[in-house]
Amino acid sequence: MPWPTTRRILGTKVQRLDGPEKSTGRARYSFDINRPGMLHARILRCPHAHARVKNIDTAPAEKVPGFRAFHVLVKPGTELFFAGDEVVAICADTEEHAEDCLRAIRVDYDVLPHLVKEADALEAKMSTLGAGQMNVNPGGDFTTNNFAKVAYQGVAPAVEGTYGVGIISHQCLESHGLVAEWNKDSTQLTVWASTQAVPATADQLAQHFKIPSTQVRCITHYMGGGFGSKFGPDIQGRACAELARKARAPVKLMLDRAEEVMVGGQRPSAFGTAKAAATKEGVFKTYEVDCYGSPGVGNAATVNFALLPYVYNNVPDLNVKRRHRRIRLNLQNARAMRAPGHPQNCLLTDQLVDDLCATLNINPMNFRLRNLPPNVADAIKTNPTSFDALRHTIYTREIEIIRKMCEWDRNWHPPGRGDGPIKTGLGMAIHTWGGAGRGPNLVRVSINADGSVLVQSSTQDLGTGERTVLAMVVAEILGLTPTDVTVQIGESQFGPSTGSGGSTTCPGTAPAALNAVEAAKRAFLTAIAPRMGGNVEDLTIEPGFVVNTRSRERTAWRAACARLGKMGVSETGNWTAGLSNNGVGGVQVAEVKVDTETGVVRCTRFWAVQDVGLVVNKLGCESQVSGGVIMGVNYALFEECIYDRHTGRMVNPDMEFYKLGGIQDMPRIFVHMMDMPERGVIGIGEPPTISTAAAVGNAVFNAIGVRVPLAPFTPDRVLAALARRK
Amino acid sequence: MHENQEKPGLSRRQFLKGSGAAAAATALATVPSTADAGPPAAEASPTHGPGPVRINLTVNGRKMTTNVEPRVTLLDALRNYLDVTGCKRVCDRGSCGACTVMLDNKVVYSCSMLALEAQGKQIRTAESLVTGDKLDAVPAAFVQFDAQQCGFCTPGFVVAMKSVLETNPKATPAEVEAGLAGNICRCGTYEQMRDAIAALCNTRRD
Repeated sequence: MPWPTTRRILGTKVQRLDGPEKSTGRARYSFDINRPGMLHARILRCPHAHARVKNIDTAPAEKVPGFRAFHVLVKPGTELFFAGDEVVAICADTEEHAEDCLRAIRVDYDVLPHLVKEADALEAKMSTLGAGQMNVNPGGDFTTNNFAKVAYQGVAPAVEGTYGVGIISHQCLESHGLVAEWNKDSTQLTVWASTQAVPATADQLAQHFKIPSTQVRCITHYMGGGFGSKFGPDIQGRACAELARKARAPVKLMLDRAEEVMVGGQRPSAFGTAKAAATKEGVFKTYEVDCYGSPGVGNAATVNFALLPYVYNNVPDLNVKRRHRRIRLNLQNARAMRAPGHPQNCLLTDQLVDDLCATLNINPMNFRLRNLPPNVADAIKTNPTSFDALRHTIYTREIEIIRKMCEWDRNWHPPGRGDGPIKTGLGMAIHTWGGAGRGPNLVRVSINADGSVLVQSSTQDLGTGERTVLAMVVAEILGLTPTDVTVQIGESQFGPSTGSGGSTTCPGTAPAALNAVEAAKRAFLTAIAPRMGGNVEDLTIEPGFVVNTRSRERTAWRAACARLGKMGVSETGNWTAGLSNNGVGGVQVAEVKVDTETGVVRCTRFWAVQDVGLVVNKLGCESQVSGGVIMGVNYALFEECIYDRHTGRMVNPDMEFYKLGGIQDMPRIFVHMMDMPERGVIGIGEPPTISTAAAVGNAVFNAIGVRVPLAPFTPDRVLAALARRK
Repeated sequence: MHENQEKPGLSRRQFLKGSGAAAAATALATVPSTADAGPPAAEASPTHGPGPVRINLTVNGRKMTTNVEPRVTLLDALRNYLDVTGCKRVCDRGSCGACTVMLDNKVVYSCSMLALEAQGKQIRTAESLVTGDKLDAVPAAFVQFDAQQCGFCTPGFVVAMKSVLETNPKATPAEVEAGLAGNICRCGTYEQMRDAIAALCNTRRD
């Protein structure tokens, strides 16, 4: 069944169902689970950025009051490659005693050379990653045909600049971790895990302990933020379950703040020199970038190489040359973070575009309108609701909308204009993301004889409002209101579901919920038809009633359900293609005020226009967009992981010197959701955070007339940029 | 054998006792002689720990008793010993506000004070702002305007906002925002919080 064309609930603003539980502190997160006889665990971590473990002596810890068990994670002789790497896990009766145990453990290390700065690694002569491993690695090399010959022919003078951004931390407010509890004979494991992949966490633990996956249950009723960093039990989760088995008691292991920032995941840095050229009329002709970034100790991607220049990579006949190097350093591995690679891509592209516009004396909004990727002719024929078929149309409409919203033509001025020490500027940037639905995502809908309706899925709510999404779909089809529907999620035994990555949760589960509720509705009407004096074909549902279209008899929902007798109906549905889609655009504009005497940048107003296919919950969508913008403003102005090249340690693994903005630091945000119900459901979590930092960067440039190359655009960097101009 | 024969000079304990007595004597000279000087200072500040000590806390109107080591913070006593988990542990260093509770109607970071110090005071957490299904106006506004996503910071924000409005029922939106300056939200719900603040202050947003 397709999505209903007339929508009573879908697309409206519905308050999240679990709002009252959360706002009054009654919602129980994994961090809040206290089990009878529960022990507390901590992990001893390597303090060196690169070291070999010589010896581990846990004996003194075993004498500490309250000690219960330890689990050694590395053998002597093991080489460790970043400060924070796990060495030993221990558990004790209280957190305080666990801390005492940690202090009592003695570990000897051979300290080895390290590198924690990208620029240092580029000049280093030796590797700090062990035999056969290189710090500097190729990350891609691509040039369009005849680049050398044609790239700078018939164009206005090219513009060149450096752009970049450092490593940041996910800073999930609920840290990574879980509570593990085994049954008496240690054959069944239950974990309450802070995860964005409930069944996958259970499966990974089952594999680790070599027990059937049916014997592991993962529960995540509430979780305090993931942003891409929480896909499984991790080392600390497995260690916690090991300790619980050894100690024969439930164990809680949640990372403390320093651990969370040092090992809980990072978004890679990206630095680059980029060059662009256009005709003097403003036709984008050439983009060249030589960039590098650090995924930490591993070799994961940093920028999204194939998508450079970002969004414009699909512009026909664009001459492109790009090179990327991955700088592996002695710091934690990168983890996916809210649109991996895209915010960096956007900074490396859209800021250069505005610099190019400045030299050409072209309004950057008009430049973008002129150079948007075109709709693809084949796609228009074969798949008219696909992003390829619509992208030019979508961006054009979004730019038209935002142009009016922010009064661009009145408020925008050529870069650097304005009197007085405080300069105002306006800047824009554009983005794209996938957000396709996928399976398997099993949803069960049960209709009971008392009129109650239950929806179950193992999927998780990261704060997106997933419970409410499921309730809205079911309520729409059954003629109920969302609060009539009970939603149970976040338990692995409810069947398969996909992890919440890539903005796929809503487009993965909403179609499954539609299929499930349509099946349940059919079973329900079939079951009651004999007692409603008609055939199932005669019965239909209108808000609050089951209606016999032949007799015109209207039976209230509860009375109709009562005719089920004692047995309710229960049906499942899975994700199927055709109800969700892939690919969104998105346009953002930032307004900043820059104090040229202090260098302080304030983002004062922000506009975001976002398409997302069929809007399910307008309230939730707007929250995702403004939340993404705020994360982007933090990226632009405040946050950065700072590593000390001498000790190899992060100096700000906290929330005091790792800066995040508060309510007074954030702009007034205006969100416009562009509803395109014909496209089906698409994910919203990631796209709205992508172009924010680039829009802020462009607004700063517009305000002061000089580019601040590196984000975050902190006062010292702003003043340095101003000084270079003078 | 006496302590002072074992080691030359005053022991730490004797020094504290002596200075306490001196302080009491000084105080006595400056107050009316009829005033009750109270128990000797040494008894008023007994030595605690390092082992667990019994503490009595009044949490959301309920008297609660547990045994904690003196080093245990109010936050950890509430969460780990009394199962009051509405206050969250996030930074544990007084930077983020997730652990905010009211102590005799003043907001404090419960991660930054010892449980022992909170005895005899009225401790209120976000859990106190609901009776049955009836939400207090502040958490209700958070729900109405979707001023929460993952919700881990939310109880701290709710308590901080409640405290501002209780202290000053006529607070302006700017004053309420200033009262939230010690709280951090990572999901980015500030814009929706401003909607909630406007409603609670009976103002319209421009």
